[in-house]
Amino acid sequence: MINKDISIDFLGVHFENPFCLSSSPVDNCYEMCAKAFDEGWGGIVFKTIGPEDFEVDEVSPRFDELTKEATPFVAFKNMEQIAEHPLKQNLADLKKLKENYPDKVVIASIMGPTEKDWEELARLVTEAGADMIEMNLSCPQMTSHAMGSDVGSNPPLVKKYCEAVKRGSDLPMMAKMTPNITDMVPAAKAALAGGADGIATINTVKSIANVDLEKKTALPIVNGKSSVSGLSGKAVKPIALRFIQQLRVASGLEQLPISGIGGIETWEDAVEFILMGSTTLQVTTAVMQYGYRIVEDMKNGLMHYMEEQGVEHLSELVGLANKNIVPAEDLDRDYKMYPEIDWDKCIGCGRCFISCYDGAHQAISWDEKTRRPSIDTSKCVGCHLCALVCPVHAIHPGKIVMKEGRKGDPSKIDVVSQRLY
Amino acid sequence: MTKKYETETPGYTMTTVMEEAARCLLCHDAPCSAACPAHTDPAKFIRSVRFRNVKGAAETIRENNALGAICARVCPTEKYCELACSRSGIDVPIDIGGIQRYVTDFEQADDMHILHAGDSNGMHIAIIGSGPAGLQAATTLLEKGYSVDIYEKNAKAGGYLTYGIPEYRLPSNIVDYEIKRITDMGANIHFNTIIGKDMTMDQLKAENDAVIVAIGASEAKMLPMFENNDAVETAVSFLARTKQAKGNIDLPDNALVIGGGDVAMDVVTTLKKLGVEHVTDAVYEQFDEFRASKKELAGAEREGVTIIDGYVPDSVNGHTVTLKHRHINSEMTIEADTIILAIGQETNAKNLGIKLEHGEAPSAGYKTHDPKVFITGDIAQGDKTVVYAVQKGKEVAGEIDSILGGNRDDQ
Repeated sequence: MINKDISIDFLGVHFENPFCLSSSPVDNCYEMCAKAFDEGWGGIVFKTIGPEDFEVDEVSPRFDELTKEATPFVAFKNMEQIAEHPLKQNLADLKKLKENYPDKVVIASIMGPTEKDWEELARLVTEAGADMIEMNLSCPQMTSHAMGSDVGSNPPLVKKYCEAVKRGSDLPMMAKMTPNITDMVPAAKAALAGGADGIATINTVKSIANVDLEKKTALPIVNGKSSVSGLSGKAVKPIALRFIQQLRVASGLEQLPISGIGGIETWEDAVEFILMGSTTLQVTTAVMQYGYRIVEDMKNGLMHYMEEQGVEHLSELVGLANKNIVPAEDLDRDYKMYPEIDWDKCIGCGRCFISCYDGAHQAISWDEKTRRPSIDTSKCVGCHLCALVCPVHAIHPGKIVMKEGRKGDPSKIDVVSQRLY
Repeated sequence: MTKKYETETPGYTMTTVMEEAARCLLCHDAPCSAACPAHTDPAKFIRSVRFRNVKGAAETIRENNALGAICARVCPTEKYCELACSRSGIDVPIDIGGIQRYVTDFEQADDMHILHAGDSNGMHIAIIGSGPAGLQAATTLLEKGYSVDIYEKNAKAGGYLTYGIPEYRLPSNIVDYEIKRITDMGANIHFNTIIGKDMTMDQLKAENDAVIVAIGASEAKMLPMFENNDAVETAVSFLARTKQAKGNIDLPDNALVIGGGDVAMDVVTTLKKLGVEHVTDAVYEQFDEFRASKKELAGAEREGVTIIDGYVPDSVNGHTVTLKHRHINSEMTIEADTIILAIGQETNAKNLGIKLEHGEAPSAGYKTHDPKVFITGDIAQGDKTVVYAVQKGKEVAGEIDSILGGNRDDQ
C-alpha cells in the first residue's frame, strides 16, 4: 500500500494529515474522537462548547435528507445545536484527548452570546490543552439569536468577538463563517481585523429539504411543526467551493489560510478543496452516513494523486486552481466545440435528442429506424448538454472551430477533463 | 467461430461499476469479506471503488491475492462472498467478481506495481508446480525476502489456469500478466522440468532451505470401458489443446460429454462456442445435486447444450454409448463423433517421496514427514478451487517463514 507524507502545517500547527472531523454530532465526546483518531483522522474540531448557563435542549427527530432517484444523502438537514454535555466534561474530554493523542490535533470549537463568554471559553479551552480554537459564528439552528449565523453575518460583531477570544487565548484561531450571506469577504476581513489567524468555511446552508404533503410542514416533523435549519453534504460542495474561491481571490486575502468544509466525501473532493485554497479539511455528513472509516480512502487516494502529480509536499497543491477561475467576462468566447458521438458506445436511448430539443438548441436529429442521433453543426452551439445526459458517456469533445471573424488556433484550445467515467 | 471462444463478456466502465458498487450496503463487519477463503477483502475494495479510489482498491486486492485478476474471473463467488452478501436480503448479491475484474483491469491498464520483493534474507525456496498455489506461495515468500525457484513440467506456467480454463472465461493474456508480475518480483521459473526425472528431489533439498510441492491434480481419470477407444478424449487433453490453439481445432458435428462439474461445463460451452451443433452432456448427478457452479451451468444452457441429468454410461461400442438412469428404469443410446470424459482428475506424485491418499495428504496442514518438504495446493487438504489454492499458498509460505525465520533469529 502506498505510503506518502501527507502532513501539512496550518496556522503554525502540524497536522499528520489534513483530514479533520468538523464540529458536529460526529465528535461529541472523548470516545468518538478517540475512535476517529484510531481510524486515521488527523484532527478533530470538538463539537462546539458553549457557556455553562446555555441550556441545550434538542428536538426529536432532528435530521432529514434530500434524495434524488435512488441516491440517499444528496444533502443532509440537521437541527442539532452545540454540545449538550456539561462544560466541565467537555473540557475534561479535550484534556484527555490531548494527553492520549499528543500527535493529533485537537481543536476546540466555542460559541458564546457575549464578549465575556467568548473570552472565558477561549481561556478555558486553552487551559484544557487544545491546539487551536475555532469560533463558531455560523450555526444556523441555534435557539438563541445572540449566537450562530446571525452573528456571523454581522461583521462588526464578528470583529468584536474575535478580539474577545484573542484576549482570552494566544492559541491560533480560525473563525468559522456562514454561507448564509451574499459575500463572505466582509465577515472574513472583520474576523482577521479582530485577530483571527484563518477562516473555516462553510457552515451549513439554511434550508427546508422536504415538505410533508399531508402534515403541510417541513421534515423532520417535530410534533406537527418544523424549522429552517442547516443543510450539508454533497449538494453544498459547489457552494462551499465558490465561497472559498471568492475569499482567496479577494484583494488582500490571496494567502488566506482556510480550513475547507462542505460535502467532502472522497479524496477527489478533498483535492478540489485543497486546489481551491484549503489547507486542512473538515468532514461531518459523510461520516454520519458511512462512519469514520471513510478517511482510509481519502488518505490513500490523496497519496496516489500526489504520486501521479509528482508532488512531495501537500502544501504545494494549496490554491493551485484559484488563478484559473476568472470572472465570466474574462473567459475565451472566440470558439465553439462540437460534440462527437462514439458509435461503439452509443446504445440508442435517445436521451441526447430529448435534452437537446427540450433544453438546448434542437441540434440533434433522431433516426427512428436506426435509433441513432446525429448532430447538425449548423444549429449546435457547443453547449455539451448532450454529453452530460448521455448514460454511457458516448459523447466527447469533438471538433473545435473559431467563431466567425475571431482569431485563434483551435488546436491550442484546452477543454478536455481527465475525470474517469 | 473462434471469436466467440476468445471473447470475454464485456467488463464494467467507471460509471457502471459505480452503479454496482452503489448497491453495496457497506456493511459493518462485512460478511462477504469473512466469506472469502483468500481474505481478498471485498468489503474494503468495494468501499474504495465507492469512494472513487480505484488505485486503493487495487492495492487491497493485490496485497491479499497475487492472482486477483484471475480470481475475479473464475472464482465461484456464488459459494463464497456473494453467498454471504447482505444485499440478498433486498434482491440479489453484489457482483463482487465483476467489481474485482474492473479494479484489476484498471490496475493492469495503469501498469501499477503494487507488490515488491522484500530485502533478501539469503534463503532459497524451491516450488514444484506453477499452478495457483505455487504462484501465490512464491509471491508471499518473495515479499518476505526469500529467493524462489519454481519447477514446471510444462512449457508454460500457470497449470490449470493456462492449460485448462477456456479463453472466453480466462484470457491467456490475463494469466500471463499475473505470472509476469511474479517473475518481475524475482521468481525464477524452470520450464519443462520434471522433478524425479530431470532433477531429483534430493538435489532440490540440497540446494534449497525448503521445498514446496505444489503439484495439482493434472491427470485425467478414465473409466475402463472407454480405454483404447479412438473416439474418446479426456477433458484435460481437449481443453489444453483447444486453449493452446486459440480454438483453431478440428471439430466434430456431434459430441457427447460425460461429467457434471465445472470442467464438464467448460468443455460443453467451449464446443458450442466453437460451433459444434450437437453437444450432449450426460451427468451422473441430477439437477438438484449438480456440482458445477450455477454460473457455469447457466452459461452452458445459454449456449444450447443438451444436458441429460442422472444418467451414467453403462456400455460403449465404438462411437455409441448406452446410458442408464441411476434411479429410474430408463436407458438411452447416443452415437457421437467424439466422446469427451470430464469425470475428474488425479495427482501424479511419483518420485517425489510424498505420501498421498486419494490424491491428498493423509493429514491436514502443509508439513510432511520430511522437515524440509512442504505441500500445498490440490494435494493439501481442503477445497480445490483457485481461491483456496491462493490461501493455501499464502499459508504454506507463512508456515515456512515462521520455521525458517525462527532459525534466522537464532543465528
